[in-house]
Amino acid sequence: MKTILLIEDYADNARLVMRTLKPYDYHVLHAVDGETGLLMAVEKKPDMILLDLGLPDVEGQTLISLIRNVPGLEQVPVIAVTAWPSDTARQMIKAYGCDGYISKPISPKAFPSQIAAYFDPENEE
Amino acid sequence: MTPPAPAIAPPADDTPAIDLVPASQFTIEELVAAYNQTRVDYIVPMPMNTARLREYVRNYDIDLDRSFVVRAGDQILGLAMLGVRPGHTWVTRLGIIPTQRRCGAGQMLMEQLIAQSRRLKVSYVTLDVIQNNKPAHRLFSKLGFHEIRELMVIRRPPATPPDDVTIPPCYTVQNLSHRQAAALLGQRQSVPSWLTENRSLVNAGNLAALRVELESGGRGWLVYQKTIFQLGRLVLQTEVGDPHQVCLALIHALHTHNPALDTKSENLPVQDPHWPAMQELGYLESFRRIEMRLDLS
Repeated sequence: MKTILLIEDYADNARLVMRTLKPYDYHVLHAVDGETGLLMAVEKKPDMILLDLGLPDVEGQTLISLIRNVPGLEQVPVIAVTAWPSDTARQMIKAYGCDGYISKPISPKAFPSQIAAYFDPENEE
Repeated sequence: MTPPAPAIAPPADDTPAIDLVPASQFTIEELVAAYNQTRVDYIVPMPMNTARLREYVRNYDIDLDRSFVVRAGDQILGLAMLGVRPGHTWVTRLGIIPTQRRCGAGQMLMEQLIAQSRRLKVSYVTLDVIQNNKPAHRLFSKLGFHEIRELMVIRRPPATPPDDVTIPPCYTVQNLSHRQAAALLGQRQSVPSWLTENRSLVNAGNLAALRVELESGGRGWLVYQKTIFQLGRLVLQTEVGDPHQVCLALIHALHTHNPALDTKSENLPVQDPHWPAMQELGYLESFRRIEMRLDLS
């Protein structure tokens, strides 16, 4: 079973992600801020990190830089979940070494296949 | 002494009266919760935790006795804060929770903060509104604020400077301490916004500076804040020579010595002559704000 670490401070958004992914074969961990998220990432070594870029303690971009410096997390897919306009989001994720982004608010219908595609890009529809 | 807050008539018979309460009557935790609720649907939500809000209040001289929470009965609808410094004030953190917008609460808060500023006999009030936040911009314009300039929030991911940029050859660098950095700010020529005023920088602490001299005779300095995870609060000044060349040397030196740190700096004017060189060395525009001002005298 793949483990996904969701770093998201807003409880409603976190609930929606977890509810949407519940029927699928994922183990979803949730961290409410950047510091907790970094500690959980170090300890649990998730298979994917879903990252809200606007966190209350450390900004998402800074957190990506920190995650990438942790041995064992250099290659873990980090997907930004953000309401940024698409041009800005694309520019930021490229610059900061994110593997992709999903626009907020997430679409519960499309979200599971978006996640699956990041795990297995060759099978993306 | 804070004057009594006004109450306005309720919008319907069965809804409680809306009133304003000084923010100092709430805990930091309550203010954080209210503020975060007002921002949940923002494109740039900028949420805070208690440590960040405490730091914000200290760094930007927020007067919580002159900042207000708007409330209907027990329900918080929104809030706005006022920074107070000699001669001027600054409106910040204005927000109304999404379900309570368009009922006049934002205007009520703004009018109260303007009234507070008038009582302080300051010359003007400023604020920064995120570009494309049209409802807020409309409200501020209606209250008499006018646009001053556009400001950028910029970032640079951690990395050594790129090899394909031509850096001025043989520049010399001097690293300066917090105390020396604070002294350099006294020579500053650029016009700061509230966030970048010398007082904000000194309050924030952890300042350092670089001074460079180019073979061509150009020279300048850079004051910045360095924390464990981030560089920020960049203030650049060219004393002699071409700002582009001086900036290339300053930024090159900064990131050569700090290759592992992310960088974020707020409120660089779009017309700043150093910006093109910063872009060459990997800086990106994150978003823009519009600085607005209301003259009171």
